[in-house]
Amino acid sequence: MAAEVLGLPFEVGAASAWLVWILPFIAALIMPGIGKISKHATGYAAVGFALMSAISAVSLLPMALEAHEIHDQISWIDSIGLKAGVLADPLSIIMANVVGWISFLIMIYSTGYMKGDKSITRFWFWMLFFIGSMQLIVLSDNLLQVFFGWEGVGLASYALISFWYRDKKKDHVGTEGRTVLGLLDYYSPTHAGMKAFIMTKVGDVMMIAGMLLIFLFAGTFGFRELMHDTSWATTMSAQGLLVPAFILLFGGAVGKSAQFPLNEWLLEAMTGPTAVSALIHAATMVKAGVFLVMRLAPLVFALSAAGILADQFFEVILLVGATTALLLGLQGMVNSEIKKVLAYSTGSQIGYMMMVLGIAGLSQQFVNGYTAGFFHLISHAMFKASLFMAAGSLLHVVGSRFMTDMGGLRKNMKKTYVFMWAAGLGLMGAPFITTGFWSKDSIFGAVYTSGHEWAIPIFAIAVLTAVITAFYTTRMLGLVFYGSKSKHIQKMEEEGHHIHEASLSMWVPYGILAVLTIAIGLVGLSFEGGLHELFTDYLEDSFGIHSVHNEIENSILPEFLDGINPVALAASLSAFAIGTGLGYVFYIGRWVDPVKFVNSNIFFYAIHKVILNRFYLNAIVYWCFVVAPLWLSRGVFRYFEKTVIDYGMNNGLQKAVGWSAKVVQGTQTGVTQSYLFVFGAGLLFVVLILLI
Amino acid sequence: MEYALLQAVFLPLLLSPIAYIIGRKIGPTPAMWFTFGILLYATILIILATLSGTTEEHYPWTEQFGEFGFLLDGLASPFAIMIYVLSTILVLYSKPYMIHRFHEQYEEEQHEITSTSGNSTIIESSSLSNYVNAKSGLYFALYLVFAMGMLGTVLSTNLIEFYVFFEIMLIPGFFLVALWGAGPRRKIGLMFLLWTHAGAVVLLLGFLMIGLTIGSFDFADIQESEIPQDILMLSAIAISIGLGVKLAVFMFHIWLPWVHGSAPTPISALLSPAMIGIGAYGIFRLIVEFLPNTFADLSIWFHIWGLVTMIYGGAMALMQDDIKRLLAYSSISQMGYILFGIGSMSVLGLSGAEMMYVTHALGKGILFMMAGIIIVKVGTRNISQLGGLAGKMPITAVCAVIGALTIMGVPPTSGFMGEWTLFYGALETAIEDGSTVRAVTFGLGLVATALTMSYILWMLKRVFFGKLPEHLENVKEGSWYMTAPMMVLAGFTIVLGIYPDIFFNQIIPYMSGVIGV
Repeated sequence: MAAEVLGLPFEVGAASAWLVWILPFIAALIMPGIGKISKHATGYAAVGFALMSAISAVSLLPMALEAHEIHDQISWIDSIGLKAGVLADPLSIIMANVVGWISFLIMIYSTGYMKGDKSITRFWFWMLFFIGSMQLIVLSDNLLQVFFGWEGVGLASYALISFWYRDKKKDHVGTEGRTVLGLLDYYSPTHAGMKAFIMTKVGDVMMIAGMLLIFLFAGTFGFRELMHDTSWATTMSAQGLLVPAFILLFGGAVGKSAQFPLNEWLLEAMTGPTAVSALIHAATMVKAGVFLVMRLAPLVFALSAAGILADQFFEVILLVGATTALLLGLQGMVNSEIKKVLAYSTGSQIGYMMMVLGIAGLSQQFVNGYTAGFFHLISHAMFKASLFMAAGSLLHVVGSRFMTDMGGLRKNMKKTYVFMWAAGLGLMGAPFITTGFWSKDSIFGAVYTSGHEWAIPIFAIAVLTAVITAFYTTRMLGLVFYGSKSKHIQKMEEEGHHIHEASLSMWVPYGILAVLTIAIGLVGLSFEGGLHELFTDYLEDSFGIHSVHNEIENSILPEFLDGINPVALAASLSAFAIGTGLGYVFYIGRWVDPVKFVNSNIFFYAIHKVILNRFYLNAIVYWCFVVAPLWLSRGVFRYFEKTVIDYGMNNGLQKAVGWSAKVVQGTQTGVTQSYLFVFGAGLLFVVLILLI
Repeated sequence: MEYALLQAVFLPLLLSPIAYIIGRKIGPTPAMWFTFGILLYATILIILATLSGTTEEHYPWTEQFGEFGFLLDGLASPFAIMIYVLSTILVLYSKPYMIHRFHEQYEEEQHEITSTSGNSTIIESSSLSNYVNAKSGLYFALYLVFAMGMLGTVLSTNLIEFYVFFEIMLIPGFFLVALWGAGPRRKIGLMFLLWTHAGAVVLLLGFLMIGLTIGSFDFADIQESEIPQDILMLSAIAISIGLGVKLAVFMFHIWLPWVHGSAPTPISALLSPAMIGIGAYGIFRLIVEFLPNTFADLSIWFHIWGLVTMIYGGAMALMQDDIKRLLAYSSISQMGYILFGIGSMSVLGLSGAEMMYVTHALGKGILFMMAGIIIVKVGTRNISQLGGLAGKMPITAVCAVIGALTIMGVPPTSGFMGEWTLFYGALETAIEDGSTVRAVTFGLGLVATALTMSYILWMLKRVFFGKLPEHLENVKEGSWYMTAPMMVLAGFTIVLGIYPDIFFNQIIPYMSGVIGV
């Protein structure tokens, strides 16, 4: 495919790979210009560029299916010998397509959702910047360049979370006046943006430390160069620095993907426009962390296969993932704001992905866990984007973020009702027809068959989380669409508001994704099989990781379910049944009143309260890292800076030369002429010195 | 080009009286353009000289002191370019800001005159425009000398020459603060003079110790001669303290918040990034390059001192309500980064430290200009009285965010390029020496970046975001004279952040030469 264009070697595939991430940036840069001409045109231009970027990504797809890879480099910081480049291998190409197309649909949705906003140009600028940064992370061939995208998504999230920077009451999250451990649990958009940026920065700081450690020993940031010659790893391992370096890198992913203990920013990120939440949760930002782990995990696994052990790296990922999955899942069960429930759910599902990537590195069959993680990433991207956009429609129509202000909406918003159920079934893992089922099932399978000593407890956590997931999804659907209409809606209808379906540009995007969740779900097993095959080849070609073949013996399942572990299958079926059943009892059938149930005994009440207060983690973080440092700084400022340094040293010096001060002060007459005289004298003095 | 550096240094000095006359006789605008023209010409000379490689000029001077020379090499050129680029751009910004300040002061003085009636006849008789003309003439004249003093220092090739230029900066600096500063300006001007002068005297002591021992003050001779170890150490410490006062490192920093808070904003924007960083230049040139063995002994102390300054400056910045004092404390913190990088004693660490100077000049320049626009357009400098200004002054807000990102070290601004190389250097030395102390300082240094981020973001939030107070309903965007210079610097920081080789090409070969020896 190589050809000459303008005298430069030109490869079509490489050009597409560059364009995927450059196009959104170009669009972002020209956006203010377009906005000057016509605000209306910005939407079309933004959607158009997002589409072009997605098409560039699709044009790479054939290459991915043939397990080819493009690695194209240009010179960048020559003085340090660093190159910039794109690396389009099956992993990054498929990821680029997921990001590209989901972003494109969200952009279409935004045209409806953000209609009439005064700052629409700024919105498009940051959305495109966001997409561009994410694609930069996906397609970069080295860590330093990844870090550009990495901070780019951080910056874009900061700007978009605090998009409504006027801090109006309706844009806040949390309940006004509610406190946890003496701190308000009520956040403004600008506060939330700042919180997200600083909290993810903590992760970034770790990541940069890890990057620099690796660069120090390897002399390169390049992913392929790191694989090409692994002598650096031997040296690092001998000094005991290899595992810390990779764990530090994983720290970046923990921050960006909102994993425990850096998970608290994700909730407040809900102050942004819902389209932004959808983008953050489905395509960009939180998926960046998972992607980084997917970039690094095969490398580390290949190293351990070569005798350089790094098991602790995977163990840390596994534990962080499992903790997050359960911790955030639990919190999703009690919250009354619809976007917060979805946010908790995202954190929890990302925890699943991390968990299975961790277990992959600890098992013989690396490819199983790896595929499961990626499959779940894809299916989560689809149903979560759909759910968020649908939630955005609800917010738009109802004008409240609380589910208690909704209720009984199934007749008024039929399409949203249907699509939200379809996507929700994906999240719950409804058997055999949704992508969520197959991907979750493959996670269960990978964990169960890993043979690691922690496999059983981790498997138990995974199944428990699945029960919880099914429960809170049912609860959300029940509260929104079933039962009688809330007072809020009745009041709206009395005032003459007509509760109606969202506009076309809004429901079509989430409709498409909801349908896809089911459609791919119907062929989920073969989809997974294809992915598995692709990654088997990819891991073997690029990293030399061979997959071990072991046929499942004495399978009791029919042939079309070959490759599925019966225990995992039973677990996911029962998890779905229990979770949904409980949810049905409380929220759809409404046979038991959940409020009365919780208040019925002190034990339930206490648990509910602890979970509702976010396990007090958020408050503890604030006390330790906001309140205490500010208090300390104030003390130092008052009792050291103002006294010891200012009054002590400063006045001391002044008094020591007090007499000269008096002399000089005598010259401060305020008359220009006398100053000029002094100035002239000074000049003369200088000239004299120069001439000596 | 012959005499290029000589022209670049002395043209502003020689033409400063003309700027004064133009200002006095015609008005502020021609004086501004005249000053701008001179500095632009000088900037172009410097850039051309840099492009043609290392440039040296030597002129005969006295027997006692040695040669009077200029050297523009990989170390000096980024400093020189940034000093003159900033000076040139800030000329434009000066006009609206200073006219605003002159008007304020005119009213103050009129008020004083009416209250203490009949004391002075000079100002009473002059109209406002005459007053402004006279003051702006003086301002631009002083401005030119100030800029020239800074450039002279970084181009010097002789200890005494270095000292002379180092002191020349002070004179116009003192007048600029004492005449047009805010608050108790004379007292603050004096404080500025006293502290930096005291520092300079200690510096001179160090110079004399070296110079008298080896019998020459030329830079070229210092490297080759053998100096007794005790004298060497003493003089190195004296020089470090002298320059440390200029850098405003922890314990010697107190003058800086006062002076930078009080000085007229364009001067703060020059003082803060360009002038105090010359202390760092001094450490590079005098200690790192000429006294490498002593540097090796001292480096760990620079490292720790830098770290303490970083954290201390950042923590104090959190506590400020005056926007300019906040930025001043932020400058202290940033100087800590530079000293931290110098202490790393590795090629990339030192290069990163110099890059931090460049990037701080850009970022802090933008932020001080932002503060100035707010002072002129809003009329207050207290953060607690501000809020929600992003909608009222969008250009300022966007530039301020870019400046803030530069200070925080977020790509794609140049701040990131300074920061990662700097921290890489720190890590490299820590690992190679197997030093626990260095490993800990590296970690704490990274934590300090989160602190930097906190105070900067918090400032942005309180100034530009949130609810718009009622008294700010009628605030307007600054004039083009004020916003265009910000935009130029904002553009520059992004270009440099994506393509840092513009300066790295100069810096890294120089640093490898110095460290490699």
